[in-house]
Amino acid sequence: MVRAVTLSGALLLLLYVPSTFAVKTQDFKTCAQAGFCRRGRALASRAQETASWKSPYSVDSSSLAVASDQASFTAGVKSSLYPDIKFSLDVRIHDDGVVRVRMDEVDGLRKRYDEAASWALIAEPKLSRDISWTVGKKDVRALYGAKKESEVVVNFEPLRVALLRNGKEQVVLNGRGLLHMEHFRTKESSRPEGTPEEGLDEEAQAVMKVRPMAWFEGETEDGYWEESFGGNTDSKPKGPESLSIDIEFPNHGHVYGIPQHATRLDLPTTTGENPTYSDPYRLWNSDVFEYMASSTMSLYGSIPVMHAHAADSTVAIFNAVASETWIDVDHPTPKSTNTHWISESGILDVFIMPGPTPDDIFGQYARLTGTPALPAQWSLGYHQCRWNYISSDDVRSVQKRFDEHDMPVDVFWLDIEYAEEHKYFIWDKKNFPDPVDMMHDVEALGRKMVVIIDPHLKRTSNYPVYQEASELGVLVKGKSGDSEYEGWCWSGSSSWIDFFNPNSWEWWKRLFKTTSQGNKWSWTESTDNTYIWNDMNEPSVFNGPEISMPRDNIHYGGWEHRDVHNINGMLLPNITSQALIARSDPPKRPFVLTRSFYAGSQRFGAMWTGDNLGTWDHMAAGIYMVLANGIAGMTFAGSDVGGFFGNPEPEMLVRWYQVGAFNPFFRAHAHLDTKRREPYLIDEPYRGMLRDILRLRYTMLPVWYTAFHEASVTGIPVLRPHYVVFPRDEAGFTLDDQYFIGGSGLLVKPVVHKDVTEIEVYLPEDQVYYNYFSHHAYRGSAKGKQVIVPAAIHEIPLLIRGGSIIPTRERPRRSSPLMKRDPFTLRVALDKTGYARGELYLDDGETFSHLEGNIVWREFVAEKTAKKSKTIKISSSDLVSKNPDAAVDGVSLTKYDPLNAFAKSVEGVRVEKIVLLGLTSKPVGVKVEGGDDLVSEFVSGVAAEGKKEGEASVLIIKDPGVFVTKDWTIVIQL
Amino acid sequence: MQPKLGAVTPLLSLLAASSALAAGLDKTHGVHPNLLSQYVPLKTSSSPQTWKCLDGSKEILWSSVNDDYCDCPDGSDEPGTGACPNSTFYCRNEGHLGSIIPASRVNDGLCEAECCDGSDELPGVCPNICKEVGEAYRKAQEEVRKVRKKGSKIRSSYIAFAQKEKKRLEGLIESTTEEIAQRQKEVERLRDIVERSESLSAAALEHKKASPLYETLIEHANALKSLQREHKKHLERKKALGQILDALRTGYNPNYQDMAVLEAVRGWESLAGLPHINDVRKEEEGSDEGAVVKTESDDEEELDEGMWTAEDLEKDLDNLLKTDYVSLLLEHEKHVNSPMTDSILFDLAAYLPDALVPQYETFRETVISWLRTLGIVHRGVDDSGENTKLRQSLTEAEQALRRAENDKKKAEDDLSDLFDPEGYGAQGEWKKLEGTCLEKDVGDYTYEVCLFDEARQKPNKGGQTFSLGKFHSWNPDAQPGNPEYYTKQLYRGGTKCWNGPNRSVMLILSCGTENAIHTVAEPEKCEYHLTGTTPALCLPFDSSSEEKRDEL
Repeated sequence: MVRAVTLSGALLLLLYVPSTFAVKTQDFKTCAQAGFCRRGRALASRAQETASWKSPYSVDSSSLAVASDQASFTAGVKSSLYPDIKFSLDVRIHDDGVVRVRMDEVDGLRKRYDEAASWALIAEPKLSRDISWTVGKKDVRALYGAKKESEVVVNFEPLRVALLRNGKEQVVLNGRGLLHMEHFRTKESSRPEGTPEEGLDEEAQAVMKVRPMAWFEGETEDGYWEESFGGNTDSKPKGPESLSIDIEFPNHGHVYGIPQHATRLDLPTTTGENPTYSDPYRLWNSDVFEYMASSTMSLYGSIPVMHAHAADSTVAIFNAVASETWIDVDHPTPKSTNTHWISESGILDVFIMPGPTPDDIFGQYARLTGTPALPAQWSLGYHQCRWNYISSDDVRSVQKRFDEHDMPVDVFWLDIEYAEEHKYFIWDKKNFPDPVDMMHDVEALGRKMVVIIDPHLKRTSNYPVYQEASELGVLVKGKSGDSEYEGWCWSGSSSWIDFFNPNSWEWWKRLFKTTSQGNKWSWTESTDNTYIWNDMNEPSVFNGPEISMPRDNIHYGGWEHRDVHNINGMLLPNITSQALIARSDPPKRPFVLTRSFYAGSQRFGAMWTGDNLGTWDHMAAGIYMVLANGIAGMTFAGSDVGGFFGNPEPEMLVRWYQVGAFNPFFRAHAHLDTKRREPYLIDEPYRGMLRDILRLRYTMLPVWYTAFHEASVTGIPVLRPHYVVFPRDEAGFTLDDQYFIGGSGLLVKPVVHKDVTEIEVYLPEDQVYYNYFSHHAYRGSAKGKQVIVPAAIHEIPLLIRGGSIIPTRERPRRSSPLMKRDPFTLRVALDKTGYARGELYLDDGETFSHLEGNIVWREFVAEKTAKKSKTIKISSSDLVSKNPDAAVDGVSLTKYDPLNAFAKSVEGVRVEKIVLLGLTSKPVGVKVEGGDDLVSEFVSGVAAEGKKEGEASVLIIKDPGVFVTKDWTIVIQL
Repeated sequence: MQPKLGAVTPLLSLLAASSALAAGLDKTHGVHPNLLSQYVPLKTSSSPQTWKCLDGSKEILWSSVNDDYCDCPDGSDEPGTGACPNSTFYCRNEGHLGSIIPASRVNDGLCEAECCDGSDELPGVCPNICKEVGEAYRKAQEEVRKVRKKGSKIRSSYIAFAQKEKKRLEGLIESTTEEIAQRQKEVERLRDIVERSESLSAAALEHKKASPLYETLIEHANALKSLQREHKKHLERKKALGQILDALRTGYNPNYQDMAVLEAVRGWESLAGLPHINDVRKEEEGSDEGAVVKTESDDEEELDEGMWTAEDLEKDLDNLLKTDYVSLLLEHEKHVNSPMTDSILFDLAAYLPDALVPQYETFRETVISWLRTLGIVHRGVDDSGENTKLRQSLTEAEQALRRAENDKKKAEDDLSDLFDPEGYGAQGEWKKLEGTCLEKDVGDYTYEVCLFDEARQKPNKGGQTFSLGKFHSWNPDAQPGNPEYYTKQLYRGGTKCWNGPNRSVMLILSCGTENAIHTVAEPEKCEYHLTGTTPALCLPFDSSSEEKRDEL
């Protein structure tokens, strides 16, 4: 009974938690309100209190079978609690050293859900053929790596899996003995507590009451069969089937990832001494209205990927589970981390990524789940959204006003009100009488439109999409499994497409065809420049449990919704992006924005952080949420500029545009109840500031596109937190309010507080950093150093790391496609040794012809001709021929033609200006190698070498007459 | 139409060598005619020739002008290339009107509608279509002119109406002024009589009023009045609450996912006997009958004998409370005392000519006091009846005076509003439209604006009509008297939106031959933008505008 007391105590405590925001915390479960989480945490606390605790699971070594031709083995696993129940273990080592550990129940009453990984992985991973297992008496081991530095050890009794590097444990599974796979049972065999069984005498009753497995599973069968929450009852026909696994990082003091939560990047603790949060991190895709800016509550998407980081090592795990999962985090010492993962259903399927650097992790994870898709270039421009632009004339007038104010914008968005009765695809002709004409008016300026398509279909006979889905039988079923599930959403009484059903895929793709498809329905009232926004795909169900679908709903293949919930949201943007590709010939890159996501979603499009609030807190949270998404693969991310809810004051709006301009995905959005806040509506001086910010973003599109190109090949995120760029710098491990943009060398710290005039920026190395705007040179230190950077409302703390070359396009245009022919400016920021390097990637920005080599990928290098030389050369050279395997994702461009069709189309594009920062003295001559002298202008100032701070020397070379697609060298004689 | 986006991609290769072409660009390309004289090399310089940025900040080579590289901080060295952000480009558009575009649109691959001569792009990219554009423009202008001409005729009829109205008001003021003078005299006369008569009987009346019956009656009446006041307050509140809840019920956003809201809606539905809104919505989908079926079935309350129904209370309580208790008191006296016939004596005044009344009054007082003294007439029996009647005459006379005064005041106000720039315009051209109601049916609703009065949203399929606000002002962003001032009307303080502001309307008007609303939009929650036309905005052509036209 002790447990019951503590439980009610916990409930009481919950009641006293003050609700600071409008979020309805009571609409969402805490761990204590979810039976399996309660059981999992109780298990952990029993283990904590029991010195002699030992996992009941062991490997049956007699059943061990090592594959002859690849690095895998299988073995039976037994639980001392239930000797009759059989489990299987399957351990594999991939050819890049990633270890995959799978465990399932064998010959059970039912089958556990085992398809989560198949939705996340791009392909079945290749197993190593070089690594071999050594079977011993107590364990089985494999030693591998270039210097045999890595080792996997699987202990038999109890079952324990460890990855070691140089003899040091990096990742341990079941080290604390919390592994528990609840086997399937019948309700009859698992008798409710306290109900005496007839025909047994008292003594026998007493014996029955003491469950032999109670030391491990607890005295009571807590929440095994039926659970109610918020007036909804989950019938739980399969009974208990949860999975608990502890994962330790004995030598890593920081963990990151497991988005999506509104928490700091360096995940705060949830257990142990003085935990920051009381509840574990929850992964259960949820539409949380007005979510809190600091909480472990689950949000719209889930990526069960966690990085563990220390100065000498980064490792990561991907726990491929799709059911509701709670994760406790604790640092038993500052240098170690314990985690505990409690899932409601599914098999154990954990990928251990050995690192050892963050960049290695990104590569390993990208080989599993794919790299972020290279987005259409225009989608890196500015997106203007509102719930709602109310008519086609409204859209035209918004466009007109952007142009009147000479503010660049690429995309206008339509939220749900375009659709008649929220029947997506179907235009409300009262307000949008001429949708295609409207889109053509937008396209005339090189712009695009994004229109929302949600997964709930209005149940009405005059809606062809619903009718067809119903006839095809591709709608999610209710718990009986035979009738369409009906819930309530924007469109009123609705049903949901079951994208787990393969029959839905071709059908869904057909809907997006812009041409007539015979007697079948297709979206003829759209164009090839109509792109898609998928919202509400958690799924959000207004009258469902926790605003989502009942867990006992039935999906394709008979799986319950509980088994697939966290994957469910990913499938809509997945199939939609395929539909957009299939729509036109030749295919164009899709753009799909999704609110819900899972591991692998990076292959299909962008995400945003959902319905944030117009508060400073949320502005700050947006940054670390985007960083966390990025390290878990989902790098094309952003938060709604201005905040979805509320009417931000001018200062906040300006700051939010600064944040947005340095997010990978840059969109302003606003709730129906807010005042209009398009950037041209605000008064001066703020309007001018917003125009400058928008233009700055467009100026830097080459930087962003080049960063996305790198991410699309390597998996390294576009926004890079400090621990990723400087993995050995301890002081940077907790930093999440400043970050680098790709490999460009740009370091930004957006201001997210009121009344700021200057700000501290952390410099992690002994290097010169230049203020992007003022060219002020700051000096870092090998021990790390804070410098003060001006940050008044019109200023963005943006630094160029010495040693970088930043390519920009400085002519404002109305939209990014109109910049295609514009010349480039190169900012050459010399490092202390007089060296600098940068990259520029270009392609047509919208088709897949880059995969055929229609690209321009240049490297710019500035260096002295010899160490003490007084000559500096800035040169441009082709990178494709140097790195044919890293030029585009998944294709080796060994036959690259520098005069490819795309390169030819931009062969007249010049470098119009070179800004060289940090020269020691005024040059005596500047010329193109083998050409004429060039016009240049020198303003003396601080040199890159030395220790001085202050405005750097600037050499501006005017119109050097060199072209961006060509090799060239400019010689600067000091 | 000019070729637009379709042209972009093919143009790219054509335009590739942009800088090479730019090198040969005319130095005055893109320069506004007013600045042409400044685009010449400095005379002082010999070789090479130089030029000074227009802001004087820098001297550059003359060859740097229009060389597709931005040298001047003010951007003035690149009038024709778009190399300098924030500068402008001038298209001559010969055959049409010259125009200025921002530099961001120069050499971007698109042929700007504003530059029909194609000069915003490099030669050969955009055709010169100024002849056609100019013609079409002039034709369109001619159309606009025709409408304006026709409209301005109607407008002058509005002005004539205002003039007539002015005369009418002036006449009214004159006649009411006379009437007021007469009525004032009459009131003074009656007041004199009443005062004198009342001072005599006041004491007697006070005595009667001391009767417990009367006092209790007054107390009851006061209590009843208070009760009625409170009752009305409650009714008002109940009505307002009902409106709020109705709006909540029909308008609540299920995405708020707020069970408290849902409970409130369900609670209200059961209290008000309404079907659940979700069922209503479903029914609407199922059948064409969209109307909300009220299932209200108020159980008839059993009332005790003599008790008033709610309807009676509404209708008759006011009348009851209007009872003149003093008269009642006197009647009561009359009733309780033995019946007696009224002496003609006391009514004599009614038969006397007005001029004699004062004398008669004096005479009567004397006579009555005698009779009283002699015990012939009971003290104070019926003289107050006379007073009541006199007082009534006075009240009526006073009311008539006030009416006349009000009429005059209103006429004076109307007259001053008539030509108030902040009212009906300097020429009174809007007076004619006061109270004119314009409607626009947009399917679910009909929007109605009664000019200078109120705007409303009326549901077409039944339901509540919402006020969108009362007339508040003309365009606050323009000066009264300026034509721009009359292009917008604001209506404010309409019914409050649930979770939103009070409804309001901005009516945006332009010259047209008819008074009509053309479009209705709700760009922000409960803020409506209506556009429409009216002849009142069709200004007549004066000689200067005629000249302008000739220039085209």
